[in-house]
This record gives sequence, structure tokens and C-alpha cells, in this order.
Amino acid sequence: MTESKKFEDEKRIDRRQFLVGGGAALAAGALAAGVPGTAKAASPQSNARKASYPKSEAYLVYDSRLCLGCQSCMFACSLTHEGVANPSLSRIQIIRDAPSFTKYPYDVVIAVCRQCVSPLCVQVCPTGACFIDEANGNIRRIDQSKCVGCQRCIQSCPQKPHRTIWDSVKLKSTKCDLCEGAPFWNEKGGPEGKQACVETCPVHALKLVKKAPNQRDIDGYDVNLAPPPRKITFPGMGAPEPAAKKGGE
Amino acid sequence: MLYGYAGKILKVNLTTKDIGMIDTAKYEEFGGGVGMGAAIFWDLAVVPGDWDLQDAFDPRNVISLMSGPLAGTGVPGGGRTSVCAIAPETFPAPLFHRTSFGGRFAMMLKFAGWDGVVIHGKADSPVWINIINDKVTIEDGKHLWGLDTFEAQDEITSAVSGRTRFGQQWQQIGEDYTTARPQIVCIGPVGESMTRVASLIHGSGVAARTGGFGGVFGSKNLKAVSVIGTGGIEVADPAGIVDTRLWHTRNFPRITYASPGTGSCMPCINNDRKRNSYYGGESMCAEEYWYMGKQEPGQMMGGDRSVLMRGADIAVRWGICTWATKFGGAITLPMPNAPAAFKGMVPMEPGMGWYIKYLYEIGELGPGKKIESHPLPMDQWDTLKFREIFCDAIARRVGIGEDLAEGFLEAVNKWGRLEEDMNAGTLRLPAWGASWHHSLPEVCWAYSYIFMSGDPVWHGFFGLSGGGGFGGPATYTAEELVETMTKKVVPFDDDPLIFSNSWKGKDAFKTGIYSPHKAKMLAWARRYAGFYNEAMSICEMLLPSFISSGPKGIAGPSPELEYRYYKAVTGSNETFADTIETGRKIWNMERAIRVMAGRHRDQEKFAPFMHMPGATFPIGGSKPVYVNGKWSFEDQNDLYLDREGVEQFKTHFYRLEGWDVDSGWPTRKTLEELGMKKVADVLASKERLGA
Repeated sequence: MTESKKFEDEKRIDRRQFLVGGGAALAAGALAAGVPGTAKAASPQSNARKASYPKSEAYLVYDSRLCLGCQSCMFACSLTHEGVANPSLSRIQIIRDAPSFTKYPYDVVIAVCRQCVSPLCVQVCPTGACFIDEANGNIRRIDQSKCVGCQRCIQSCPQKPHRTIWDSVKLKSTKCDLCEGAPFWNEKGGPEGKQACVETCPVHALKLVKKAPNQRDIDGYDVNLAPPPRKITFPGMGAPEPAAKKGGE
Repeated sequence: MLYGYAGKILKVNLTTKDIGMIDTAKYEEFGGGVGMGAAIFWDLAVVPGDWDLQDAFDPRNVISLMSGPLAGTGVPGGGRTSVCAIAPETFPAPLFHRTSFGGRFAMMLKFAGWDGVVIHGKADSPVWINIINDKVTIEDGKHLWGLDTFEAQDEITSAVSGRTRFGQQWQQIGEDYTTARPQIVCIGPVGESMTRVASLIHGSGVAARTGGFGGVFGSKNLKAVSVIGTGGIEVADPAGIVDTRLWHTRNFPRITYASPGTGSCMPCINNDRKRNSYYGGESMCAEEYWYMGKQEPGQMMGGDRSVLMRGADIAVRWGICTWATKFGGAITLPMPNAPAAFKGMVPMEPGMGWYIKYLYEIGELGPGKKIESHPLPMDQWDTLKFREIFCDAIARRVGIGEDLAEGFLEAVNKWGRLEEDMNAGTLRLPAWGASWHHSLPEVCWAYSYIFMSGDPVWHGFFGLSGGGGFGGPATYTAEELVETMTKKVVPFDDDPLIFSNSWKGKDAFKTGIYSPHKAKMLAWARRYAGFYNEAMSICEMLLPSFISSGPKGIAGPSPELEYRYYKAVTGSNETFADTIETGRKIWNMERAIRVMAGRHRDQEKFAPFMHMPGATFPIGGSKPVYVNGKWSFEDQNDLYLDREGVEQFKTHFYRLEGWDVDSGWPTRKTLEELGMKKVADVLASKERLGA
């Protein structure tokens, strides 16, 4: 048995033991009680349900009409966080409908972690692995060393598709940390820093904002980031292209 | 093995239904893409020695869909899929040809664990190949036969992704998950009927156009290849890839049409989300300008863009090759010195579609005419309806469609007009029946037509002008341009004269377009393109990017950018010169295949119009020339080629490449120097080795 296989099997056992043994009771209790977690006060044993959580100090917003669907952000995310190019491990998912031919602008779905004001993923985590990082602008993060792979954060995510990501090799969850903990990101991340997805987007369809967007629907996160229309001319070759109507149309 | 590879190549024999695997490491010396595809073609189709390589529809034809190590690693534009095989489209005979297509097919292959797919044999009934990670099956495709490319891809997507709701759910595949859809390359009805004018279609507008490889799929009863994968690609320096990308975008803001972005191979020059009308927004210019409608002289396809998109959709749905069936292209310009047929107004790409209208106008083609036009409604030539009927006639081989299905020049030949219209310059196809794209005055582009198998589709040197082309007026002098460029073309960086485009008098032979200096420019173009665009599969519209209009001088990011990407992904210790040398190896591999198929110096000739006034289509702009010891820009819209000059150039080029100057065949010394002794042995056994 290879080391990596052995590691995987051990992790599977961890998860299974957790689910069928004491962990299951803990998890069930945690889910019922909605255990909150923060970096300072995360405690899976705590039954105290917080009425509210400190808001994240930054949010990722996007322009679904401007986005090219090129998935640059996905590669930047998995490269800087996991050190591999793997879209399935990207914390931002750009879902292209090609080849199923939904018409613009519904042909691309942009799935970013919303850093929810009321983060269910944090609430339901039985081990405190999913926590609020108060030392870094209250980002909702996952500490994989504490994750037991119960997937409750994934099941509880109210977004479709869910924004918490399942790592099928490590058998743990992960999620957007605004690049605060990205080991292969050579720039400062977090709410006061830069994000790999934002920086690599070729059309500037992603942006970090400080104010919490409207939480009720996607409109709060799907915003107009289009620059002023740019006229392109071809000298000696006729009229310029018509100005964009909106966004990147 | 270097990083960036999946490690294995899928091999499918449709005759025996055998599904096998090739170890990628065996072909690592050829980089990837066309390099590996050509080397595999050599081993599977040439070495056995039982096939003369003449019939593209022979079940022994081996068609490969290959990725490169950069695909699926986040390198912008690095995700193209290279295709090579004996191509049915070329004239007067099928030739070994390579092309490529963008989109997400190559990277999805990598995520499924494959560096490429190699297909040979012929299924006894329609099939499609279904790749889901390691699981590969040959599926019954009878219900797909006859569907257009959109319908076929939708059917396959439903079969693979089942009830997974687009944009709302992760699809579970084994233990893994993905939000992606299967990536599919397929053919439409035009490919099914084994025409020579069919493309491979991927998604709603991406196509492998040149070569007519849709017909090869059709000949194998292969409707489609679908792939979905959930894995990842290990890279040597993940931070280095991201850093390189940021270095590019921060230092060279938008210096080409293509945005310096994209994880796959999009967007193209039009951006693949300008799809606010119909689906054709993913298409490249070839599809977009396939339908023209009416246009004013000198005007680039203006008017209602959505109509152009609808035209593109027709071409893509039917899977017709917009390259082989060009109706005129993007623009028509006044050219007083053009052959008589054009009456002073020449469309940029006068192909099959344009030619039948020309014959109609001179009374040679039409209802009841010498060339019966049924079922084409020639009086509706400039309508979308005509395009639909045109595709249908070719796909079903009805009436004139039977002639056109066999290819442009084959049809012209059958109609008895080939010699006359070739010699008159009415047929503006530079070589091998390949339609005009760009060419003169960019002589490297022109020369590539004859030494390869038609249009090289490589814009690398196209923009090196003093203005008047796509780039607008130059902001630099000819001397500055040449000085900047010379530093980039290692190992020929000691010879600035390679950039002199002098075409008149003694200068043309001494320092200009027929000189040994120009041979180096062509050699570098083929080596660079062979490695970075065809093996590393980087979109050639994105890179190379030699010239910048940014504030930091005129030097663009190439070739440093692509070399940095290559190192970051693979971890290779090679120098840039080493990579160019690998490009030379790939170029010689291709050459060996072509020689085995019968290529000889005598065949490498231009169509007559290239030697006549009016050969240049006037959007190439002015070119740098070295005259009387000084560099300057010269307007070369009147450039045409001297026959003796081209012959002298061929001699210089063969000599530089280490090929026999009488035959154009590689010598043993050259091949062994490149580590290709076995190739030399096979050529020798068939008496095709250069002296």
C-alpha cells in the first residue's frame, strides 16, 4: 500500500468512525443546536446559538454579463490554494453551459462563496473546523485539520450549487478564504489584500467589496462592473464595432 | 517525466473495438500536440508499411486529438486540441495535415487522465466514444447519425450528465464531483457523408476547420468523442504560473485582440460571450464572416451582427468547413491590378462560395446551364436560406452538391475549368487547394503554404509592419522594429536581415525575400510554431506577441512569456533555444511523413496568381526593407513572387534545414542529429532519404 493510499484509507476510517460512532451523536446534536464557531470561541461542545455573527469585512462580487466564462479564476484558485490545477477543487466555480446552448446571459453561472452574514456552514460544523476568522476580517473559513469530513457544511449551504467544496482526496471540506490562507499565492490575501481570482480575471468581472451585499437573492452579488464602452477601430477598414449595451455584451 | 502531462494517451481501434493505452513518456521528446500526434502517426500508420497514405478515408488513417502539457493548467490560451492525420480537403491529393481547435476539450481530456485520443479503424455502424475519467466505452451512435452538431451534443450531454441540473448541482462521478459538462467534439451531416469540406465541431462554435477532418470522422462512422473528468494536473511551480500571468497582464495591457486571460483557449478575438443574439458568438472569424450578406466596398462586415451569427450557426450546425467553402471573407477591397474576373474589387477570401457566384454571373453555372446549379437558388446567393440549401445539398450530395462535396478544386477540375481559371488568377488559392487567409506580403506565411499542406494559420509575423494592417499606424521606426525583433529569434538573433522584405531587383535575392536570410525567418517561424503553438498548443492568436504598444517600449512579451509558462508548468531545465530545437524536430517529423506520402521539391509550388500582379491582398501593411544600408518601411501592396526567386529560396531553405536540395527530402545526417535515426531508416528503406 502506498503512503498516499494509506493516508486516504485512514482518513476514510476517521470519517466513518465519526459518523457511526460518537461523532454521529455529536454531529446530530451539533446540527440540532446549530453550533456556531469562531476562531477565538469555536467549540463543538457549546450549545449556545449565537443570534448573529460578526460580519465578514469583505465580499466577492461579480458581473455575470461581463464574465467570459474562461475559468481563469478557477485555475488561479486551485493553483494558489492546492498547488495543482484542478477545477473541482476551486472555491469559485464558473459553470459554462457549452455544449448545452443556454442563451446569453444564462449560459454561465458564477458560484462564489458569499461569506454569508448568517453562515450556516459555520453554524452546523460539529468540530469548529468551519469558523469565523476574527483575526482576519471575520472571513468564514475551514480549518482542514479539524474537519472530519461529515459534509454538513456542504449539505447546509443554501446556495446552488453549494459553495463549500468537497476534496475527494483528502476527504475534507474547503471553501473560499479570500486567499488569506493560500500557500501558493505570492501576494497578501484576505480582506485587506488581493485575491488570485480577482487579479487574474482578464475582464475584471470580479471585485472585492467591503459592504455586505443584499443577502436575499443573487442580485446583491451579481453587480455591474463594466468599464465604459471602448471603441475599437480598424484603420482603413470601416466602422468601429458598436458600443456595448451593458457589461461585456 | 516532466510535470503537466496526464501520463497516458487513449488509443481506440474502431474496427476491433479495442481500447488501449499509450504511455505518454514514449513520445515526450515531441512535446505534445501535433508533435506527439505526428510521431504516433508515424509509428501506427507509416512504419507498418502497408498503406500508401493516399486515401484520407482509409480505415488505416490515424487521427489524433492531442493536448499539450500546458492544457488545463491555467496558462492562457494553452488549451487547444491539436488534430493531425491524412486530410481529405487538400488538392490534388490528400496530404498529412495538422490543425487545432480551442474550447475545453483538451483540458477535460487531461482532467480525465488522458493526454490525447488516437483513433484508427472504422466502426461497422455509427458510434461515439464516451470517456468518463478512466472509463472508456464505444457507444452506439445510430440515433445520433443525421443530427446536427447542436442536437448531437445535447443528446450526448444528457446521456453523460443525466439529470444533473445545469448550474445548480455538482455531478458525482465515482468518488469525485464536478460542476462541468462533458466536452464533446463531433461532426454534422456534412461530415457524416464523407465530404471533403467538413469540420470537427466542439461546443456552439469552435471548429477544427482546415483539412476537412470531419469527413475522416464520417469515414470511421464516428459521430463524436465526449469526455468528462474530475482530476487535476500536477505542475512544477503553481505560484510561478500565476505570477507569470500577472507579469503579463500588468506589464502588457491588452496588446493583442485576444485578452491575455482565459484558462482554456477562450476567448477568441471576438470573445466567446458576445452571444447576445445567436450561438455563433463562440465562433472565430471564419464562421462569423462565412455569411456576408450585402456589403459595401471596403467595409468590414458591418450591419446586423446577429445575422452574421445566424450564418455562423448554420455552418456550425451542419459541420461544414467555412475555410474550404469561403464566400468572400471579411472584406472586399479595390485592387485595380487584380485579374479580370474581379473587376477591380477583390474579396479577401474568394473560395468555393464566391466562385459559384462568379460562374453564375458569367453564365457558366445556373439552371439549365453548362454547370447545372440545382438545387442551389443562385438568385438568392446572399441569403441565409441559400447557406442552408448549400449545406444540405453538399451533405446529401444532391445535384451540384455531389461535385462540391468532393472539394473546391476537385469540382472545378470536373467542370473543366481548373487550368484556365488557375492561369487567369481567378482561383486565389495559394497552394494545395487551400484558400487564401493571409499571405503576401507576409512571405513567411506564403512560403508555409507550399512547404506544409496549405494555410499555416500562424499570425506570428503578420503584425510586423509599419502600419496599414490591423494594427494601425506604427509608433516605431523600421530600424527599431528590426532591432527589437532580432533579439527574440534565437538562434538566428545575429542576423537582422531576416526581417528585410525587399522584393524587387537584386536586393530581393541578396537580402530580401529570396535570400538565405529569409530562409532563417521561415525556419524560425516553423520551429517556434511547431513547439509553442502546435506542441504546447498555445493559441497562435494570443502568442507569440512580439510588439507592444505599451508605455515600456515596443518589445512585446514573447517569447519570454511562453517560455516562462513552459518552465513553470513542466519544470523543464531546457533553454529557450532547446525548445526551438524541439520545434525543429517536430517539423522534421512532419516532413518525413509528407515525404513518405510522396512529397518532392517539384510539388512545392504556388498557384499561378501568386506570380502575377494583384497577388497581395492589401491589408498586410508596409514591411521593413533594407536598402542602401538603411532600414525603412515600404508599402508592398503590389508585391508578387518571382518564379526563379522562389526556386532559389527553396534551395536556400532546404539547405538550411539539412534537406536534399534536389528532392527536399531530409538527410540521414539531419535526422540523426535530431535523434531520429529510426525515421531515417524507414525513409531509407523506401528510398526517400535525402542525399
